[in-house]
Amino acid sequence: MNKTSTKSTPGSEYLIDEFAPALKRGPQWLRKRRRVLRQEFNSTPLPHRGLHTWRYTNPNKFLIKHDTVLDTAFGNGYNAVEKVELTHLEQGHLSGLVTDHGGQEIKFHGLEELSEKGIVVTTLSEAVSRHQEIVERYLYQLVNGKTGKFEAMNGALFNDGIFIHVPNGQTVEKPLHLLHEAGRENSAHFHRVLIVVGKNAELTVIDEYGGGASDIDQGVSYTNSAVEIFGSEESRVRYVLLQRQAAAAHLYLTHRARIERGATMLTIPLSFGASTSKQNFGVTLNGEGAESKMYGLLFGSGHQHFDNHTLHHHVAGRTTSNIDFKVALRDRAVSAYTGLIRIEKGAKACEAYQENRNLLLNKGVKAETIPELEILNEDVKCSHGATIGPIDPLSVFYLTSRGIPQNEAVQMIVSGFAESTLKQIPENLKERITDSVAQRLEDI
Amino acid sequence: MSDSAKQPNSDLTNLNSDYATKYGFRDPVDYFHKGAKGINHEVVEMISKLKKEPRWMTDRRHEALDMFFSKPIPQWGNTALLNEIDFQNIYYFVKPVEEMSKDWDDVPEYIKKTFDRLGIPEAEKKFLGGVSAQYESEVVYHSMRDDLKKQGVIFLSMDSGLHEQEEIVRKYFGTVVPPTDNKFAALNTAVWSGGSFIYVPPGLDVKIPLQAYFRINIENMGQFERTLIIADKGSRVHYIEGCTAPIYSTESLHAAVVEVIALEGAYIRYTTIQNWARNIFNLVTKRASAYRNATVEWIDGNIGSRLSMKYPCIQLMGEGAKAEVLSVAFAGIDQHQDAGAKVIHAAPNTSSRITSKSISKDNGRASYRGLVKIYKNAVNSKASVECDALLIGEEARSDTYPTMEIDNDQVKVEHEARVSKVAEEQLFYLTSRGLTEDEARLLIVNGFMEPFTKELPMEYAVELNRLIELEMEGTVG
Repeated sequence: MNKTSTKSTPGSEYLIDEFAPALKRGPQWLRKRRRVLRQEFNSTPLPHRGLHTWRYTNPNKFLIKHDTVLDTAFGNGYNAVEKVELTHLEQGHLSGLVTDHGGQEIKFHGLEELSEKGIVVTTLSEAVSRHQEIVERYLYQLVNGKTGKFEAMNGALFNDGIFIHVPNGQTVEKPLHLLHEAGRENSAHFHRVLIVVGKNAELTVIDEYGGGASDIDQGVSYTNSAVEIFGSEESRVRYVLLQRQAAAAHLYLTHRARIERGATMLTIPLSFGASTSKQNFGVTLNGEGAESKMYGLLFGSGHQHFDNHTLHHHVAGRTTSNIDFKVALRDRAVSAYTGLIRIEKGAKACEAYQENRNLLLNKGVKAETIPELEILNEDVKCSHGATIGPIDPLSVFYLTSRGIPQNEAVQMIVSGFAESTLKQIPENLKERITDSVAQRLEDI
Repeated sequence: MSDSAKQPNSDLTNLNSDYATKYGFRDPVDYFHKGAKGINHEVVEMISKLKKEPRWMTDRRHEALDMFFSKPIPQWGNTALLNEIDFQNIYYFVKPVEEMSKDWDDVPEYIKKTFDRLGIPEAEKKFLGGVSAQYESEVVYHSMRDDLKKQGVIFLSMDSGLHEQEEIVRKYFGTVVPPTDNKFAALNTAVWSGGSFIYVPPGLDVKIPLQAYFRINIENMGQFERTLIIADKGSRVHYIEGCTAPIYSTESLHAAVVEVIALEGAYIRYTTIQNWARNIFNLVTKRASAYRNATVEWIDGNIGSRLSMKYPCIQLMGEGAKAEVLSVAFAGIDQHQDAGAKVIHAAPNTSSRITSKSISKDNGRASYRGLVKIYKNAVNSKASVECDALLIGEEARSDTYPTMEIDNDQVKVEHEARVSKVAEEQLFYLTSRGLTEDEARLLIVNGFMEPFTKELPMEYAVELNRLIELEMEGTVG
């Protein structure tokens, strides 16, 4: 029998100390689980670079050393984006707004109406005692030590986060906006979101990540986030993730959702920020007739490095999934996309589609794509497609020949490229996204 | 009813019984040289000495063996099966006869019978320009038509190639697949034996295919043939290889290295019909370099073996070079066909097309694994990848793992994949016209494979269709 040697990767010797203060947070049951996750983190080697999901990104970038972490003071009052969203709330575009400064200062705005309907929006630190039964049942179910080393790290060390519970039959008509501001240089934030949506209930959440270190010479900021969403039977959930962290931020995020019979889930990852980000989005279709759609949009510029993974896991039969992941890159930006559709043996009569389009706006960018299929039964309809290429010069020529300036023509084409995702976004947010795409194209 | 949909004989109830009679028979073991099992530097030294090799080759073998020892088993793919390989329980060098024959009559009777049963001499007479037949570690029979010889075509066993064309071999050996490439390439470089050496002079069009046939006979055999093909400027050649082995209860290992070089304007087509017995690990590194305006085509059929990991690669090194890979896999009971293709675009105006077709039946698993890499300087390049998978049966599995790495914005890259079962409507249409469900299914599968079979020389296409027919037998459940 040939035994293979496992090369030790630099950084793999890093362990979470048994006296880490975070391990003492929460009630007894939570502390116990944190300790188990700590052990899982410590005993799991760093992801092997030979794995295709780690081929393009160095795991050391997300290994947060305790001694580099400082508590960062946040400015007083609200920053520009927070002000915009507070206005949106006043104007009645949102059903609620949560402003979260590094998990240390979490404020809730305009939630009165929701709480009258019995809808809970609170911090995880509150929820673990006040809604213990439901939190204990769902927390760590989807994102845990088995998901990966960094997920174990979050599980052991998360400082705080948001808990949302929509009881059976309740509808949150307007989007609920969560706005997380990461700390500055050398800060670390372990953040967690838990969302439980009851039977035949409906919810739209915008989960936004801003802030973070902006000057690489001063050091980087770390965010490690875990998002768990449960969609009960016949529920309807829309989840928008907007990632616009600053230029020296490192972000690791794992999102997992599980939907039951007849439920629908719409996931919209929008990625614009951070220096290095690795984001995983996964939906498990766990009941007959469940349907999941993902519309992604990524715009990279400067020296940004993006690494995204999507997963559609069909566990139940007669389930449907669709992914449309769009990537536009300029300057020296790099994007790696890997996406897996897995259909289990017992999941008959499933349909699954996946598309990844990459638009390369100039020389010097890099795009990698690995759309994967694992199909374990014959009764499926399944396909995927990927394209990588520049803007069609003929389209630019057509527009400019009609008097439209070159950069406007490019903007129009990129907007058209992004349209299928943009039209899924709630109105008030769409404006901000369209603006920021336009901004990034101004000098092209 | 079309001929291709005719029912196979009812006594051929499954492939294994047929494989045993047609390919799976064993010969009595009576070898000129059979070393002990296991691998170490003494084995390498012994192989090189027996072959009376120049010192540089012996040194390379030793260096490669150290690389083999230091490299880990791949951490991806079917690692559970890969970890089953017991490298110390394998024969690394078995020499069936003392001297290679140029005349069929001189080949020992039992080997001759084997190749007769496999139909090799007949194929030679009918449609081949040259034949090489390898039995265990060495080529036992080799011949080429006189007219080709006169035109300057060199077609030798790799061992003869090293002795007769040492300079060319030394120049190109290990340049396309260096031993550092992977564990199995390192192992092959250390213990290689047999394989083909082909050189086609500039401008020559070799109109009839050259063929090699590889046969493993004993249990726990390791076959490590090494093939080097060089098509000089503006020449054309088509090389075909086939392979079979008896069925044993324990595994044998086939780890070949194939290096193909198409110089400016040359055209090389390399066709493989891999039909190893289902106890063979087939872990092969095949790679080609295509220079300016050259074309390389891999036509790769994987039907046999327990686990195949094979991703024929083409490096497009010169402007205007073209690559085409047509990969077909059939995964039946307990088989895992992990096949695919790689194309590296390293020059401007290069183009590539990969077409993969796979069928998974029973509990078989077919995986497409591929890479398209376009470097910064490879402007105006085009690449397309298309994967089609057909699943037959509840337990069948299909995976698609394509990788595309693009470092340049002046390119066009497309990938598409589809996975489906045999469509009910098609079955209904055919059965409503009087075909049995078995016949209808077979007809649909043959249609699915058609883009592949039409690229094969007639005799192979017929053979492949027959194999599929056997595989498809009794699929209605």
